[in-house]
Amino acid sequence: MNEPDLTTHRAIPMASDAAHAAGNDVDDHTSHVPTYVTIFLVLGFLTILEIFVPDIYSAEWNKTTKMLLLCLLAVVKATLVGLYFMHLKWERPWLKWIALMPAYMAVFTILLMLETVFRAPGA
Amino acid sequence: MTTADLAHAAHADHGHDEPAEDPHFGKATGGKIAMWMFIAQDGMSFGGLLLAYGLLRFSSVDWPQPSDILGIPLTAFATFVLICSSLTMVMAVEGAKNRDQGALTKWLGLTIFGGLIFLGIQVYEYSALVHEGITFATSTWEGVPINDRFGSTFYAVTGFHGMHVFSGVVYLICILLKAMRGEYTQGGNSYSPVELVGLFWHFVDLVWILVFTFIYLL
Repeated sequence: MNEPDLTTHRAIPMASDAAHAAGNDVDDHTSHVPTYVTIFLVLGFLTILEIFVPDIYSAEWNKTTKMLLLCLLAVVKATLVGLYFMHLKWERPWLKWIALMPAYMAVFTILLMLETVFRAPGA
Repeated sequence: MTTADLAHAAHADHGHDEPAEDPHFGKATGGKIAMWMFIAQDGMSFGGLLLAYGLLRFSSVDWPQPSDILGIPLTAFATFVLICSSLTMVMAVEGAKNRDQGALTKWLGLTIFGGLIFLGIQVYEYSALVHEGITFATSTWEGVPINDRFGSTFYAVTGFHGMHVFSGVVYLICILLKAMRGEYTQGGNSYSPVELVGLFWHFVDLVWILVFTFIYLL
């Protein structure tokens, strides 16, 4: 059984992309801790932003701006969790495609919304 | 992949050897691929619920503004707790990879603690809403009837997620008990089960990010 090489730890965020590019996450013990802390801080900051968006865009006329901004923030946060905390960034494309399957639901939702927006009056 | 390769991959999943290289999935274990397939299917379940919520809400003319009824600051705090628990979870995986049993058990314990706080907040929120008249079947707010589907969809989506958090906490406790016996800090691929529970836990966090936006903030 191979013992892990604990001497290869590095403390450089996102510096191990090349080592992980082949889904090679098992025997590469590069430390991702600084990256995780950075992503955590970004997620916390975006969550604070989210709370203020509905207050700033509370008027009826800018409701669409509020919705788009909130959806954008949510998608960015979810993507960060998927890419870094769930290690998708360092996985092979096949695993990424599997992870993207639920996104088809989002595409379907957008199609339904577009149909509503462009529906002919009285149809 | 030959039969010998498959046999080696199966052995690697159960033992502590590293898995064979697969042309499509690299060194991802069978367990990891299976967990991702489960997550993808579970994600579609959540997608279906959120899609139904959206269709019901935007086809109604009397849907109340959620932020007028639901406690945004408290839920934002719960969201932050879940994000913190995701950080402690990745730290636990790092601990297992580094064969540091102390770090592994500490971070797993904190992750479980975060999940329990989240569940506690959800129980408090539910009891407050039911007390105010928002139930699964009927909805009234400050004594005035509102669209009944508000309560139905709210409890369906957040309840489904809450069950995932509960399941995740139970799953984490099982992993913690084995981690305390040193099963995941033996080097090689022995940390794999910690990584798998981590994937599930991050998925629960990821879904909540979307639920928080669609159900509470929009």
